[in-house]
Amino acid sequence: MVARSTRSLLPYLLITPPIILVFGLIFFPAAQSFIRTLTGADGGFSFERYLEFMNDRSSVTSLIFTFQVTFFSLIGLFAICYPLALYLRFSNSRVAYWAQMVALLPLFVPGIMSAYALIRFFRGRGLLETIIYQLSPVLAETYYSPYVKPEGIIIGSIWESIPFTVLVLLAGLRQVESGLIESAQDVGASRWTIFFQIILPLTRRAALIAFCLNFIAIFGSYTIPYLLGPAAPQTLGVLMQRTYQEYAQPLQAETQAVITFAVCALVGLLYVRTVSSQRTGRN
Amino acid sequence: MRSSKFVLRLALLGVVVMLALGISVVSAQETSIINLYSSGDTNITDWLQNIIIPAFEAEYPQYKVQFTNSRAAGDEPIIDRALAALQTGDDPQVEVMDIDPRGFGASVEAGLWYEPTVEEIPNLANVIEAAQVTPLAASYRGSQVLIAYNSEVVAEEDVPTTFAELIEWIKANPGQFVYCRPDRGGSGGNFVRRAVYEVSGMDPAVWTPEFNQELVDEFYPQAMALLQEIHPFIYDDGAYPAGNNPVLELFASGEVSMISAWSDQAIQGIDRGFLPETTKLLQFTDLPMPGGYTMLAIPKNAANLKGAQDFVNWFLSPEAQALVVEVIGGFPAIAWDQLTPELQERFNSVITESVPTWPGGDYNPPLTEMWYETVATNIDPNS
Repeated sequence: MVARSTRSLLPYLLITPPIILVFGLIFFPAAQSFIRTLTGADGGFSFERYLEFMNDRSSVTSLIFTFQVTFFSLIGLFAICYPLALYLRFSNSRVAYWAQMVALLPLFVPGIMSAYALIRFFRGRGLLETIIYQLSPVLAETYYSPYVKPEGIIIGSIWESIPFTVLVLLAGLRQVESGLIESAQDVGASRWTIFFQIILPLTRRAALIAFCLNFIAIFGSYTIPYLLGPAAPQTLGVLMQRTYQEYAQPLQAETQAVITFAVCALVGLLYVRTVSSQRTGRN
Repeated sequence: MRSSKFVLRLALLGVVVMLALGISVVSAQETSIINLYSSGDTNITDWLQNIIIPAFEAEYPQYKVQFTNSRAAGDEPIIDRALAALQTGDDPQVEVMDIDPRGFGASVEAGLWYEPTVEEIPNLANVIEAAQVTPLAASYRGSQVLIAYNSEVVAEEDVPTTFAELIEWIKANPGQFVYCRPDRGGSGGNFVRRAVYEVSGMDPAVWTPEFNQELVDEFYPQAMALLQEIHPFIYDDGAYPAGNNPVLELFASGEVSMISAWSDQAIQGIDRGFLPETTKLLQFTDLPMPGGYTMLAIPKNAANLKGAQDFVNWFLSPEAQALVVEVIGGFPAIAWDQLTPELQERFNSVITESVPTWPGGDYNPPLTEMWYETVATNIDPNS
């Protein structure tokens, strides 16, 4: 009897420390910040800090810019990773094995190192331009360096996110049973039919998970946009740091942080719904 | 008989081990920790870790310096922690910081910083007057921002000698000049401040440490207009890298042929072959670009205040000051004539007496903000 009640208590006991951590370190301070941003100078409820954000040209530019960078990074990411994951799923060659190893490499390179490596790679007279020059000096003259430009952030973000995206998409593709595809082939379905009618619908959830988590990571990132991106416009992460440290305006930085958090939380909600629908078996 | 001998030996061995342990415990108690924080560029943090700290510990074996590089996280959290500790009476876990306390207003108002005195830090008497910029910290090295150019690309007769000539040179040579974002590195920051001097009658005396909003309103927009004029001619149609080192890298790779750079980083770069041999340095003849003194600040609630004082005192000795000049190409905080004649001779080209010091403090945030909003975006400041 005693043993039974302890056993039923054990799960609660085990989840207590993480819950305390999550509430103490994330939810509580986030809620505090959220309430503070809605408090006016007179101490009452007010939207003034958000109005200030919306009326500030550089803040709004930064918000739009962050959305743009995230959007294009995600498009590029899926354009690269989905075909790659398909190839890795359906090929058993040695090349595929090595391709997977290479695709996972960025996972083991710290962000700041990959940022510096990318700078040396694609800036003017970097490795890429030097290689192009060796092939054709005329072509090298048209070289467009993405360093200190929005394209720099997009390329950097894609490079950093490839391993995770490939892993998630590959896991989704592995759940597509080969038997299903084989029987479709037997009844004469074309490759495109198989892709659009079977593979794509069945990997929708994996794609959504990859989308949500990458969106959150890229939207709130700092190192890549700071080192590879332009001085203006800047993403919210970089603007936040500048507002807090250089302008010594913690309140404004907090508003920027809450807005960033709110956008990420919305996408997080989509993620939670996607994952929980998987748990309950709904599609 | 045999076994009792064995026991005896064992006991003896035990005593020896205990003694050895005891001695090591005692010696561990005798060395006290000095926590040192720096967020300087790599050349500075490397120098502190590999040269300065071992040299200090060799002379003062009773101290062990624990170095933390705060470049990534910034100095703010460390100061916040020290401030909180000041209120609660806890150990702030920091003895010495490589910062200018005036940049952290809240800590100055709260009276966090120990004011060094000659009684407690005797070598403070060696520090030259120009370096005594604040009572809140001890200046230990100086540097200035210079123009570095590649003499292989830039013909001797085209080399600008004044700021106005530089502006003309930049316009005549599109894409060949670059400076970094003013808040991300002093080489860019002091270039922008030099533009402020340029439009305010080239008189640094106007910019006194007391903040004056009228000066900001009058001269900052003019300085921005000047910088906007050259914006389209900056590297890659106005791309500003995020720090001193990225600018040096662009110069080293030959992407640009003229930059603004810290004297110490440029000298070190040439010495180590990181910058081309043909690199030459110049300072404007009309008014140099601002430089400044870097200081060591001590929170007055430091647990090991004596250690902090001894560390700063040693740093201001002629032997340690020679390491400033020799290793990182910086300026000493003490008079040059206290150093060896060889050193004075070798660094003849960078010895200047009249490096203006920008007041900093409240003057910086509006300058950075205006630069980001008008120059980097290329938007008219009056629109």
